[in-house]
Amino acid sequence: MSNNVKSDLLLECRGIDKNYNGPQVLSKVDFSLRRGEIHALVGENGAGKSTLIKIVTGITNRNAGTIVFDGHDVPVEHNKNASEKLGIAVIYQELSLIHGMTVAQNIFLTKEPLMPGLPFIDIKKMNAMAQEMIEKYGFDLKATDIIDRLPIAQRQTVEILKALSNKASLMIMDEPTSSLTAKESERLFKIIRMLKAEGITVVYISHRMEEVYDLSDRVTVLRDGKLVSVLEGEEITPAEIIRLMIGRELTEDESHHKMVDKRDREVVLEVKNLSAEGKLNNVSFKLHKGEVLGFGGLVGSGRTELMRAIYGIDAFDAGEITYLGKSYSPTVEKSIASGFGFVPEERRLQGIMGGISITGNIGIANLDSISSPAGFVSRDKELERTQTAISTLNIKPANPDHLVGNLSGGNQQKVVVGKWLIRDLKLLIVDEPTVGVDIGAKEEMYQTIDRLSREGVAVMVVSSDLPELTRLSDRIIVLRKGRIIKEFTEGVVTEEEVLRAASGIVEGGAK
Amino acid sequence: MNTKSALFKEHMVELRLFGVLLGLMVVLSLISDRFLTVDNLTNVLWSVCLIGIMTTGAIYAPITGGIDLSVASMAALAGILANVFMNTLGMNWIVAILITLVIGAGIGWLNGVVTTKFLVPAFIVTMAAKTYLFGVAMLVSNGDQITIMEPAPFLQIGIGKLLGIPIPIYIMFTLVILSHILLKKTVFGRRTIAVGANEVAAKLTGVNPDRTRIIVYTISSVTATIAGIVMASLTQQAYAMNATGYELDVITAIVVGGTSLMGGSGSVVGALIGAVMVGFINNGLNLLDMPSAFHPIATGIVILVALIMNQGVSVPAVLKRWFARPGAAEAAK
Repeated sequence: MSNNVKSDLLLECRGIDKNYNGPQVLSKVDFSLRRGEIHALVGENGAGKSTLIKIVTGITNRNAGTIVFDGHDVPVEHNKNASEKLGIAVIYQELSLIHGMTVAQNIFLTKEPLMPGLPFIDIKKMNAMAQEMIEKYGFDLKATDIIDRLPIAQRQTVEILKALSNKASLMIMDEPTSSLTAKESERLFKIIRMLKAEGITVVYISHRMEEVYDLSDRVTVLRDGKLVSVLEGEEITPAEIIRLMIGRELTEDESHHKMVDKRDREVVLEVKNLSAEGKLNNVSFKLHKGEVLGFGGLVGSGRTELMRAIYGIDAFDAGEITYLGKSYSPTVEKSIASGFGFVPEERRLQGIMGGISITGNIGIANLDSISSPAGFVSRDKELERTQTAISTLNIKPANPDHLVGNLSGGNQQKVVVGKWLIRDLKLLIVDEPTVGVDIGAKEEMYQTIDRLSREGVAVMVVSSDLPELTRLSDRIIVLRKGRIIKEFTEGVVTEEEVLRAASGIVEGGAK
Repeated sequence: MNTKSALFKEHMVELRLFGVLLGLMVVLSLISDRFLTVDNLTNVLWSVCLIGIMTTGAIYAPITGGIDLSVASMAALAGILANVFMNTLGMNWIVAILITLVIGAGIGWLNGVVTTKFLVPAFIVTMAAKTYLFGVAMLVSNGDQITIMEPAPFLQIGIGKLLGIPIPIYIMFTLVILSHILLKKTVFGRRTIAVGANEVAAKLTGVNPDRTRIIVYTISSVTATIAGIVMASLTQQAYAMNATGYELDVITAIVVGGTSLMGGSGSVVGALIGAVMVGFINNGLNLLDMPSAFHPIATGIVILVALIMNQGVSVPAVLKRWFARPGAAEAAK
């Protein structure tokens, strides 16, 4: 490769092979990026997106293939520092900023401007430099803001500034909108287009098809570790991308969005006037057998707090809970023993135990049924339960000894759900069931919830994904600022209606 | 076939360690013809007994992501207390041992409570305990090396033999088996591992992390107390400085044995092999008539090597990258 001729390709990967001592994760993948384009990388979980990115950024090394970045051959023994030097930056899904430090300190970490001739940091100059960058891009930040006090969306912009200060020519964003509100996402898209206008190439990884459709100049689709197609311009439509990703057409069934009245059935859970200082305000509702009750609302509306209070994680100040006709004061242990299941919102932090096996993760929720009264665990029973969970939910790989941390997001989520399914489940609480989960696993998750509901399990679903909420729910309650603001019980509910209620624009009389 | 290979996989860590241990034994037997004798091997096992016994209980703290630095002071105090109960207060030796064990359990419980309820890191809590327990031991014993002459059955615990094998070795192996079963086969073991792997997830799945941790530190102190009683009997001595520095040997044995200090996994059998390995290295140095100053040097090197191996980092790759650095810097220009 000659350095003199600048090709219009910023990155060119050819025939990339990768296996992690066993299964082939990538085989002969070609991936190329043009200068100044927004390029979406899509595929189901396990398709090899993350691995490809890890190879480009030097977190892991390829087994075969060539990579050329900006005219330079990238050696197999690539590493993270080298990739940063080349100008490759990753905006992490789990943000990598240092808490307790200011915006400026984070941006200029390890490359702080020094006072002339002295080994001390010139703080004034550093703040001024940071402020200049912030103003150039019109971000809603101050150089002296402490990271901890910024919302996620603004932290993300700090990450972007950090990358810009490193003179990055390639920015990789992995699910950047997964914890952003619609408004914040819009702002991020504006920033991404601004980066593009500056000639920076952006790789955009997302499971949200409408974003991919709106933003991308080109789309690379991976499936099972192979390149399926590269779409460009007119070829990019959500339906086409989905078809290529999973190899089958998804039919949108209108009846899914229709509410189903199940309020004549036996009441499983009744919540009366539940209040918790600053979180919940007089929340009352009933949940019936086999009913899927959806909870809509913006982030911070109190949905997660409500679920945590009912499951027994956080205490509440006032109100009553009745479970199966009896007054119920929840603790986690009691809830589990009484047939509750809980799938928490943040999978990595609260759901999985990454360092232990699938068996270990599933066993821990079922110690009561796989152990003798003396406290000895039956390995056979444990393995049998795990195998049941693996086959019911189609967990891949179907190896009970596999470490959960090494599974793809969708399969990790299946493990978190799976540990409850092998119990005598009466009430399942799922908080954001499909964040960071690919479309195939998403559909499987929906079918699992449908099946549970048919079997008579009462389900509470919290979701910010509106198609998901309307698709799953028999009834939808919308929370705003800790109180119930709207309930949808019949007819077809559109995403727009839910969003309007969540944003506080309710016609026809708010409660 | 399938179960066989699964069994093999499950015990990979232990088997690998055992391989290293055998290799060490081969090397030592080539170096010294005194090494591979029944007497010498019994001696090594005997000398690692105290560390081995402490390890069986102390291993649980690292599995939860914590640590117990108080075990050596606890052991020293236990010997002194047992002697006071038997020889100053004239109690029956069995009663004296039982009371000592209860006190040991109480101190461990306190460590656990301060760690979990008052949110002080285990490192600090147990370091404080190490310090104050040593102080109490000095206070009670007046700083003296008290010789224990009786009762005879008590002294048999340390110096007695059964079928030619010292009784402490039986005690150690019994505790290793019990601890192994506790960790791998019981609900408590599963909960301990879960707390270390992800405390929040464990909590949301019905595990009580505080209760688990309190039990963990209680067990750790109880086995330290047992080691202290065996030590008092073996050395016929109650002395506050008797176990000085043993907590580091215990931690060495645990990390050499493949237990991560980050929590979430651990092996009791591995830790035993780790303790024996350290014993063999010291024994080898003795057989070669090396000055005793080499023992801590060897132990330090063993800890580092074990930790590097446990990290799963390829040493050649690291070295290659290290030496490739100047070249890489030039290419970046």
